[in-house]
Amino acid sequence: MNTRAYLFAVALSCPFISTAVAQESPGGQQELRFEGYPDAPEIEVIPRKDDLFFYPCTQCHSFLEPNADIRELAAPHDINIDHGRGRIWCLSCHNLDHRDTLRTLLDEPVDFDAAHLVCGGCHANRHKDWYFGAHGKRVVNWQGERTVYNCTHCHDPHSPAIKPRAPKPSPPVRAGLQLESGVEHEKSSVWESQEEQEEQ
Amino acid sequence: MSSDDTAGKGGGSFDKARRNFLRGLGIGTVAAVAQPAWGGQTFQDVFADFFQKDYRRMAPEEIEAALERIERKAQARYDVEIDCQNTPPQPGVVYGYAINISRCKGYRDCVHACVKENNLGRDSQVQYIRVLQMDQGDFNLEHSDHYYEPETVPVEGKHYLPVQCMQCDDPPCVKACPVQATWMEPDGIVVIDYDWCIGCRYCMAACPYWARHFNWTTPEIPAEEMNTDTHYLGNRPRPRGVVEKCHFCIHRTRKGRQPACMEACPTGSRIFGNLLDPDSEIRYVLSNKQVFRLKEDLGTEPKFWYFSD
Repeated sequence: MNTRAYLFAVALSCPFISTAVAQESPGGQQELRFEGYPDAPEIEVIPRKDDLFFYPCTQCHSFLEPNADIRELAAPHDINIDHGRGRIWCLSCHNLDHRDTLRTLLDEPVDFDAAHLVCGGCHANRHKDWYFGAHGKRVVNWQGERTVYNCTHCHDPHSPAIKPRAPKPSPPVRAGLQLESGVEHEKSSVWESQEEQEEQ
Repeated sequence: MSSDDTAGKGGGSFDKARRNFLRGLGIGTVAAVAQPAWGGQTFQDVFADFFQKDYRRMAPEEIEAALERIERKAQARYDVEIDCQNTPPQPGVVYGYAINISRCKGYRDCVHACVKENNLGRDSQVQYIRVLQMDQGDFNLEHSDHYYEPETVPVEGKHYLPVQCMQCDDPPCVKACPVQATWMEPDGIVVIDYDWCIGCRYCMAACPYWARHFNWTTPEIPAEEMNTDTHYLGNRPRPRGVVEKCHFCIHRTRKGRQPACMEACPTGSRIFGNLLDPDSEIRYVLSNKQVFRLKEDLGTEPKFWYFSD
């Protein structure tokens, strides 16, 4: 099967790939690039760069020697990467050559405000849901322009699972009633006798 | 009164006595109206309230007058200047709601945002949203608990299911109402005319979702926490002794804003939109996710879906 026929087959079988386009890379082989989903609505992603404490990274990293070795990092980057069960290292997402950008799995630079393109590289189903509004959170309006939060607003990319937190207070118990925990409504004598019969 | 006049001269003086009596009555009425004996309201407002018609039978100018009365009443009761509106439904819009129960963590942020947004009494037991906690793998609503109070949520082995008014397309509560004080608006929201409701609570008995609530007390709301953006059919100050319910934040959604519960949800589990718009988020969820509705077998056609992914 030649390359073009293979691409065609892939395009038919997978909606995610079907929206990617083939591009000629310097090495001569063809690569698939993500160009958005068909019929996806226009969305505006809330920028987050201003909230990043250390951004721009080149403030320091333009003076530091690039070091791609996997190692224990010291402050200020002494973080524990609780993501990908140990298979992810800083440079899976951060760009070694262009420090102020992230990178996709194809080593394309991605702006920090478009971090969803990095996340979508692995979490394609979630990414598609996010684009169409079934995942993530839209801001203010249900109508009109769609402004949505980026993935990294809610998920810390270094530890993306949402942490438990305290709930808001429970509703008041209706006046005249008392709250009894563990009341089993089906524990009436009728049910018990039936269970006993079943056991025998 | 000039009693000696009436004693001396026959019928003509009786006319005069009657005139005097009527004048006295008039003066007495004016004096009564001028006194603040009408619950802080004027006699005219009480009179007009008493003869106020059903919302659907009021002329536009009558609705306008009713809105102004509501604003004056709120001023007298809460000392707050509210803006009560009558935003009409948008054409070509029917609202639908979906909740991703695999993402709901039971924080109850929606519950408290709703209380604040809809001017619910802080001491009363009325809350439009209940978040049910159930064992994972169990979907028996009778085993659910909405009084859960753990240190942190989500609790291991539990899942959460927020329940509020399902805005049924074939609402049993509307059929049960003996005075037609509740009905479905063209945009699919089931509303109550709080001034027409007689508080018989038949609708509460008819609702299979426990979504309607009776307010036993006049809501106590601190003046600074009062939401001044109100709607006649929605979150305007209600009288005591009527049934209340979720109205998809009618004062917000009819202007394109999200319901308060959706805006407050930190997890983004709540998805709201126009069911008639094929490009809306809600339609994407309905066509791409495994959705279900609560007690679907009852045939009430709720416009409120749940899904997990």
